[in-house]
Amino acid sequence: MIEYMLLAFGEVVMVFGALGILRFPDVYTRLHAATKCDTGGAMTILLALALYTDPSVFIKLKLLLLAFLIALINPMVSHAIAKGAYKYGIKPKVVVDMYAWDNP
Amino acid sequence: MVEENILVNPFGWGIMVLIFTSVMLMYRVLFGPTLPDRVVGLNTITTKVVVIIAILSVINKQYFLIDLAVVLLMVNAVGGLILAKYLERRGRSD
Amino acid sequence: MSRIPFYLKERLEEVQRRVLYESYDAQKLPVWERIVLTWILLFSFWIVITANTSLDNLIIGAIATLIIASFMRDMLMEDVRHRGHLIEKIVYFLLLYAPQYLIIMAFRLIESNIKVAKNVILMDINPGIIKIKTDLHSDTGVTILANSITLTPGTLTLDVSKRLGETYLYVHWIDVETLNREKAGEKIKGDIEEWLKKIFW
Repeated sequence: MIEYMLLAFGEVVMVFGALGILRFPDVYTRLHAATKCDTGGAMTILLALALYTDPSVFIKLKLLLLAFLIALINPMVSHAIAKGAYKYGIKPKVVVDMYAWDNP
Repeated sequence: MVEENILVNPFGWGIMVLIFTSVMLMYRVLFGPTLPDRVVGLNTITTKVVVIIAILSVINKQYFLIDLAVVLLMVNAVGGLILAKYLERRGRSD
Repeated sequence: MSRIPFYLKERLEEVQRRVLYESYDAQKLPVWERIVLTWILLFSFWIVITANTSLDNLIIGAIATLIIASFMRDMLMEDVRHRGHLIEKIVYFLLLYAPQYLIIMAFRLIESNIKVAKNVILMDINPGIIKIKTDLHSDTGVTILANSITLTPGTLTLDVSKRLGETYLYVHWIDVETLNREKAGEKIKGDIEEWLKKIFW
């Protein structure tokens, strides 16, 4: 029963992440929605799958390893894209920008 | 053995929802105002495809597909890093 | 030295002792410990990926991962603190530090998902880029801290700058509450940095 609840939570989080990518105003806030909701939703769904299957222990371990790799890789790519977008010349719509003070 | 109808399982409906969100994100990939927007959309779609492959492997009991999902995730990481490097260098030359 | 009051003298000695401890902790591990730690990591990865526990497979995996670990020993385990015995480190990590970190990050991740959903519905955003200071100096430690900050609610790491022996992080904050560096650092990092300082220097 608990795996279906985890699945529903993950799907709802994924849908809100997609809505956030569509609605937020600039790249950095879109990256917020993409990274957090994608990582959380994918990890929750993979955890639900690991609870659902029962052929052997290694399949569960592989799914957990996939979740761990997603949690490791997704934020890293998001930092790289954020820094690249800043260097590409996109000005963030912010109230205070300490990065522009230090790197004129 | 491959099941005929995957929609008898709740995880099959999960696949449908994930495909729906990917179609929503295609708007950002196609009409994104700037290049980094498209990169963000593509990365998010690839993570959803990884999850779809994992769900399909569990539903159809074809467990070798999980290795394929791991490989796709690593390729996604390398592609994202290379695209970020490209953005950085192109901004500097202009 | 005789004109310094005694409480100042005690404090100076304490600072000197702490500097000594920190410089001892920041040493590299011995070569065999680095090789063994990398080998354990790679071998467990091999077992999980191949999903096969027959004896010849295990022997092939042990030999291959030992060769790779002897080449790649500096890549992952260079920044681990030089403290305690090898078995002590492994037992502490598996029984105490890893479950603590997993529980902290799981609740943070759920909270951040709910917060992003709230922001999507209400659109009450007020973003800003803040500079905070960290006490970690090694590359692996700063990387894990930046990943954890990205997964905690409302923050996204932009860049790292190291100058004059101090490390600063630039953080994109979706709802700026304070501009003071110490308060912002305390709010953003939380207790993750305390946890990371036990393992990495």
